[in-house]
Amino acid sequence: MHEMSLVRSLLRQVEDLLIEHGGESVSAIHVEMGPLSGVDRVLIELAFEQLVVTTFCADARLVIDEIPLSARCRDCQTEFNLEDFRFVCPQCDSQQVQITGGDEFRLLEVEIETADRCRASQEEKPCCEARA
Amino acid sequence: MTTKTITVQRDVKAELRRQAEELRQHLGRQGTLVINVLSSPGAGKTSLLQATAEHWAGRHRMAVLVGDLETDRDAQRLAPHCPVEQLTTGGACHLEIPLVKQGLEKLSTADIDFLFIENVGNLVCPASHDLAEHVRVVLLSVTEGDDKPGKYPKMFRTSQALVISKTDLLPHVPFSVDAAIDDAHQIQPDLTVLPICSLSKDGIAQWCQFLEGQRHELLARTVIGESMVTT
Repeated sequence: MHEMSLVRSLLRQVEDLLIEHGGESVSAIHVEMGPLSGVDRVLIELAFEQLVVTTFCADARLVIDEIPLSARCRDCQTEFNLEDFRFVCPQCDSQQVQITGGDEFRLLEVEIETADRCRASQEEKPCCEARA
Repeated sequence: MTTKTITVQRDVKAELRRQAEELRQHLGRQGTLVINVLSSPGAGKTSLLQATAEHWAGRHRMAVLVGDLETDRDAQRLAPHCPVEQLTTGGACHLEIPLVKQGLEKLSTADIDFLFIENVGNLVCPASHDLAEHVRVVLLSVTEGDDKPGKYPKMFRTSQALVISKTDLLPHVPFSVDAAIDDAHQIQPDLTVLPICSLSKDGIAQWCQFLEGQRHELLARTVIGESMVTT
């Protein structure tokens, strides 16, 4: 189970973004996973639940977008979703298939809360500078 | 309070992959081919590396970073044959690039032709981690069953070679080499298949030739300055 280390890395990146953008807190973390991401959704959620309370993102909710495994045929350029792990083009039967999605665990976007008083000077003086 | 959305759109492991790419290029430039060796526990990774070192003795220089949850037993087995450094994960089920870099601080690779990274025995998590390898090899022993490739698609999809090990046991187990190869090729048609038996040395010469060919290609790519990324 490597989900703990992946979620730890995810939260560290989110904390860095929070500091970089001068936020007060994180309200949502959007991630994407697919059939070849090498992660299990339940284990990711469990790891997140355990680790998030130890970070600056304690109030954040994790939003998981599950996407299909998608590919492009290198021979006829057809784009298609794979229903199983048989890497064959449905159009021309070629096995020269390139994966285009669903094989990574991706951080899509982060929603952070910023204090209104700081908005004008966010670039130069982040609200959470003291925390950093 | 105001809500602000920050768009990121990157792999959570992007930074680790960058570090792996940097190390791959560094080792490639000095002529060291890096091989990430993966399998379930007990498939014969250490025996294969031992047989490889014996085959190459006096001809090629190899070194091994060996990963395990606990103990240095594999390192002790390999130490009489080649330079080796044990990486102990302390319970983690796979190796990551920072641990590999720590190991390389203690293991000199300047004059090494082949650096093997013997991963933790596991067909799942190690598949997701780039360890700066030029070649990823998965071992499947005949006692595990010929239906494994389809059950662990990421491992077989991301490998360049499949070593079918313990072939001396084929008369005693219901394992079809053809079925295993067919299943693996459905997932990764470009997989090179190498049946071996480390005890009798059957197939070891072909395995070593495969790696020598990979290193030859690496050296040619390095000379003409092409990218050495493996995906």
